[in-house]
Amino acid sequence: MAAYIFRRLLWTVVLLLVITAVIFLIFYVLPSGDPAKLRAGRTPSPETIAAIREQLGLDRSLPAQYWDYIKNLVWHFDFGTSYTNNQSVKSLVFDRLPNTIFLVLGAAVIWFVSGVVIGIVSATRRGTLWDRVLMGGALIAISAPVYWLGLVSLYLFSDDIGVWHVFPGAGSYQDAHGFLAKAHTLILPWLVLAAAFAAIYARLLRSNLLETMSEDYIRTARSKGLSERRVVLRLGVRSAITPVVTVLGLDIGILMGGAILTETVFNIDGVGRLAFDAIQRGDLSTIQGTTLVLAFAVAMMSLLVDILYAFLDPRVRY
Amino acid sequence: MPRSVLRFVLAGALAVLAFAVVACGGDDNNGSSSSSSTTKATSSSDVGTDNTKAANVEGKKGGKITMLAGSDVDFLDPGHSYYTQGYMVVYPTQRTLYSFKPQDSVKPVPDLAASDPEISADKKTVTVKIRPGVKFSPPVNRAVTSKDVKYAFERFFSVNVGGQYPAFFSSIEGAPAEPTKGVKPISGIETPDDQTIVFHLKEAAGVPVAAALVMPVSAPVPEDYAKKFDAKNPSTYNTHVVATGPYMVKNDADGNTVGYKAGKSIDLVRNPNWDASTDYRPAYLDEVEMRTNASDANVASEQVLSGTHMLFDANPPANIIKKVATEIKDQYVQVPSGGYRYFPMTTTIKPFDNVNVRRAVLAGFDRNAARLARGGKFTADLPTHFLPPDFPGFEEAGGYDGPGFDFLSKKNEQGDPALAAEYMKKAGYPSGKYTGNEEFLMVSANVDPNKAQAEVAKAQFEKLGFKFRLRLVPQDAVYNDWCQVPEKKVAVCGGAGWFKDFVDPQSMLEPVFAGYTIPKSGLNNNMAQLRDPKVDAAMKKAALLDGPERLKAWGEIDKMITNDAPAVPFVWDKTTLLRSKDVNGVANGYTTTWDFSFTSLK
Repeated sequence: MAAYIFRRLLWTVVLLLVITAVIFLIFYVLPSGDPAKLRAGRTPSPETIAAIREQLGLDRSLPAQYWDYIKNLVWHFDFGTSYTNNQSVKSLVFDRLPNTIFLVLGAAVIWFVSGVVIGIVSATRRGTLWDRVLMGGALIAISAPVYWLGLVSLYLFSDDIGVWHVFPGAGSYQDAHGFLAKAHTLILPWLVLAAAFAAIYARLLRSNLLETMSEDYIRTARSKGLSERRVVLRLGVRSAITPVVTVLGLDIGILMGGAILTETVFNIDGVGRLAFDAIQRGDLSTIQGTTLVLAFAVAMMSLLVDILYAFLDPRVRY
Repeated sequence: MPRSVLRFVLAGALAVLAFAVVACGGDDNNGSSSSSSTTKATSSSDVGTDNTKAANVEGKKGGKITMLAGSDVDFLDPGHSYYTQGYMVVYPTQRTLYSFKPQDSVKPVPDLAASDPEISADKKTVTVKIRPGVKFSPPVNRAVTSKDVKYAFERFFSVNVGGQYPAFFSSIEGAPAEPTKGVKPISGIETPDDQTIVFHLKEAAGVPVAAALVMPVSAPVPEDYAKKFDAKNPSTYNTHVVATGPYMVKNDADGNTVGYKAGKSIDLVRNPNWDASTDYRPAYLDEVEMRTNASDANVASEQVLSGTHMLFDANPPANIIKKVATEIKDQYVQVPSGGYRYFPMTTTIKPFDNVNVRRAVLAGFDRNAARLARGGKFTADLPTHFLPPDFPGFEEAGGYDGPGFDFLSKKNEQGDPALAAEYMKKAGYPSGKYTGNEEFLMVSANVDPNKAQAEVAKAQFEKLGFKFRLRLVPQDAVYNDWCQVPEKKVAVCGGAGWFKDFVDPQSMLEPVFAGYTIPKSGLNNNMAQLRDPKVDAAMKKAALLDGPERLKAWGEIDKMITNDAPAVPFVWDKTTLLRSKDVNGVANGYTTTWDFSFTSLK
């Protein structure tokens, strides 16, 4: 196992290098706008643009620019400087990353637990009213866009602009100090972010579990007199949950790159919002930094999922 | 439960939810023409709260206000800042040579300067006296001298600082033609004593240079303190900036602006070295916290309207503007944005080289539809020429009624197909429509409202028989990579805007329509590529004038340009600012933002 993890980590490094090259090509060879021109203000002369290009290092050859970027990244863990406000991209990203992690992990716990519970109940009570209500609810949750759901929840339940003053409103996260206070302000964002994921997981688990429960070894277990609860939880769910865990890992990784809509509606300073602002302002170095974080998160979560596989499924060996 | 019944119940539930959202949002579907708004909403004082009255209120001293803002400042450094968000911090924290009281956005008043600028008879020298007793905030703690203003200008031209409007001061003798490496002296700026600064000019540009002394670059920067920051490339003075105004960005003993968290918040506190007796600002508040990450404008607007001690920075969504204008009424201020938005038609591309074709486009253009794409009548007035409301030269150019050309008047706000056909016939198209087969290029941003307004424009051109291909590109590429590059052959730019930098009509018309400003290479602001010798000659003559004659001359030039029809002016924007009930919010018509130095708690 240790050798496998080591190999995977090495591959992750290679993968990240490839990703940096791809990002670099996308944003520097096919840029949406020239950062030098954007920074030059109104009526810039060609000389002004050239001077800024030199200042930003954009006048150098692409391989030289890429080499500088990688060198600074690997040697100094330096993500560069924002083109629009001269701030260190590393500080911008890592200042916001804990907020995104807190938001995503909290929501992931909610969606995973509720998705699994709903999936099990629906599968074990297939065709009943319970099944239909739960799956109908899941359909609504999947259909509701996060942005819309966030706005509606704020207009209904936030303690400033809501009809019923139940949960802290948008922007309250940055005023809260301490784990519990921050967690309290995240209840509504967690629920909103988790809603669609929980619904998808519930449907996924339900269909996997239904398939698993018709397997021969389940029938054998039942015929040997195991309780239904034990059959479902020990044998059925354990097998059916493996693909769900795979998806969970990838979803968490992707959201680490930013739950942009949730962060926007609830005014949480996260990586997603930073990326969105950077895209709007054509701030290539910040876009690069946030994309790299996303890529790293996905790679790490993918590794974690593969390791978890070995524990969930005894047949898997590395 | 039968499956069909369940489906019915689910459909019903979804419908209820959908209605709930519609009720939360509201709309701005003003299909009708709104000539009444263009005639009525004429100034900042007759819509929403009376801003002049609010500015004259003796405010309550003390307290803290929180401002919700959708985006961060560009820079805190007065030598680098160029956009509205930045100005919102620069003006309460810095004392530029001249600035604007909220009661008057047309006539600047001496700020760091002790009196009006003295312009020599040949218009080649501008002398400014500096007010004594103005001090820098900690950790500098010393009196400002004219040398600090000189240094501010010199560093502005360096690539390390990156001043963004050097063209306004390029007529100063010795002003670098390209950004300098490191801060270099400028021979044309003299400081004969600590309270006097003299600008020697290469040409008779005294009037526009004096007008431009309201820009942030004229705020003093202490060389002895800033030199080490400016030596870095880029300069790090932005995060060590010191203040001369009533407020300062909270800093530590070393001058690090700890109150600035990029993309999150800016904490403005009182500048302990500010002397009220040297300033016209009352500075009632003790502290202003700007939250520059209020990312959802709908939510932030509602928070401000229902909350206390809060302001919203600028222009909430159209549904909120409609709500405050029609329901709440007293929690907002509107000020003219000091600019115009227009669709330039490239006059070097046939048939737009024919003035009657261009007039036909203007005559048939439904400008109200384009305005609806930007939010409707509560967000802008419909122009009848170019110089915007509450701007010098506006009345001389015809005011709201316009210069009287039938192809751009209040009568054809929704377009007049018959009149458009008449002009097309005059242009040599007997059918009243364009009959060519070529496809023209229009370029616009790929996000609303710019995308929506470009789609409206495309439809207007197509009504006259033109075929257009609308190319949608990222916002930051629209001008730099397309509309401002003549080689790209963009026939119509799907939306351009020109807003004031300082209050002088020359700065609003010359860069956009003077034929002699079209560069041989580089970015071109005259997107229509208008080269009218009469207009050019009139501009050169008017540049030398002063006082009422100057306004009259530029008003006439505005009429000449409108008669040339190089572009479709489609909105004069208004900026809407929201406040909580317990805030006496005062807007500044120059910066078109809240003025923290006059705003107070009730």
